[in-house]
Amino acid sequence: MTKIDFVQSGGFMGRTIILSLDLDDMPPHQAQTFNLLLDQADFFRLEVDPAKPPVPDSFTYTITVTTDERSHTIHVSDTTAPEQLRPLLLALSARARIR
Amino acid sequence: MHNQRPILCIIPPHMLREISERGTDLQQEKARATMAVSSQIRIQRTSAALTVHMGAAGTPDKHRNIYDAKQGSQLPGTLVRKEGDPPSADLAVNEAYDGSGATYDLFKEIYGRNSIDGNGMSLDSTVHYQKGYDNAFWNGQQMVYGDGDEDLPPSQRLFNRFTAALDVIAHELTHGVTQFEANLAYSFQSGALNESMSDVFGSLVKQRLRSQTAAEADWIIGEGLFTANVNGVGIRSMKAPGTAYNDPILGKDPQPAHMRDYVNTIEDSGGVHINSGIPNHAFYIASIELGGFAWEKAGMIWYKTLADKFNQNSSFQDAANLTVETARELFGSGSIEEKAVIKGWQEVGIIVGAPAGDGCLTAMMRAIGLAK
Repeated sequence: MTKIDFVQSGGFMGRTIILSLDLDDMPPHQAQTFNLLLDQADFFRLEVDPAKPPVPDSFTYTITVTTDERSHTIHVSDTTAPEQLRPLLLALSARARIR
Repeated sequence: MHNQRPILCIIPPHMLREISERGTDLQQEKARATMAVSSQIRIQRTSAALTVHMGAAGTPDKHRNIYDAKQGSQLPGTLVRKEGDPPSADLAVNEAYDGSGATYDLFKEIYGRNSIDGNGMSLDSTVHYQKGYDNAFWNGQQMVYGDGDEDLPPSQRLFNRFTAALDVIAHELTHGVTQFEANLAYSFQSGALNESMSDVFGSLVKQRLRSQTAAEADWIIGEGLFTANVNGVGIRSMKAPGTAYNDPILGKDPQPAHMRDYVNTIEDSGGVHINSGIPNHAFYIASIELGGFAWEKAGMIWYKTLADKFNQNSSFQDAANLTVETARELFGSGSIEEKAVIKGWQEVGIIVGAPAGDGCLTAMMRAIGLAK
């Protein structure tokens, strides 16, 4: 079991967007893509400095990944997201924007 | 710059820790989230230690640089147009150039301010930030603009490019001005005031370019950002907060226009883009009362207050008290200007002269369910 909970908040509009993905319920090629992005981000070992404040109007993102064995949550913004996380952020944002 | 009260408005960390350990499950969750939000107000002054570019002859002057991120996230990106260059073939580049120029002109020609830092700082903007980025922001040093939903099929697009709205450009640049002046902490009431300052001067730049009086202006923030697929006229309305959009996908504009509808939340850094509707509307009322061009009197009062009186921790009550104080200093006690500002705040439920008290602290306590 792998679940991804994604919350995008703030931005110029201040709108909150929530996305929940259960990779087990997704087509295999899509689930594989997200698993690859999680690996690429080294998500479960990713530590982000929470003291860095988001800048005016930037988006803030909260990502929680839960598997059978563990769960990990990170909070980042447009300016604090580590490079290795950006492909996953973009993929989650893109999916959240699909109407 | 005045920062008379260096103590930031936060629930003391030890109190939050107590709540996070001993409160109910919901309180614990909210206290932990608030600890994260609280860290946001430690806006680093070091980020304000920016490179200041002067004009070619060393003269502080309008000095714009437009960069292209080419849909990536590296800032500032590739320089594509600098001050004095002819227009680009890229519309977003020209919008960022012209918009930052019009904003510089308002601050310089009306308020006598030389750029973001008051000392000729260059106006740096990056366009084409990331792909499908529905946003614009100020990163502490420069403005950044996304292209909206350019990557989606036209029938699914909700947002146009963010340079399309002049007031968005002026809004972002004003965040820079605020950073160099009051440096209003970006959370809860001080954060909503920070947002409101950006909307006020964002709208004034647009009104001035259109030569519109307060009565003629639309007072819409972000007109043109929505595609035709959205039922809305813009992101916010200063004239009628809460009415800018009502859409099946985006929902309804959540802004209040009165303190009785103040939204206690920890989302969006404590509702900074929501509760800004209250001070926004106070400015609108004051401007309508005064008549004529809003940037001349109401704008001057707000600008002087931002530059000389606010501090990092200012609340809505502080804003009311201090804008009236400024009006009195500029135009005299009992002047129509003073009365107009008093009326503006009165109509949003703030009685001028009341003590500022611990409004910010109370807002935070309410947001985490510890006060009513």
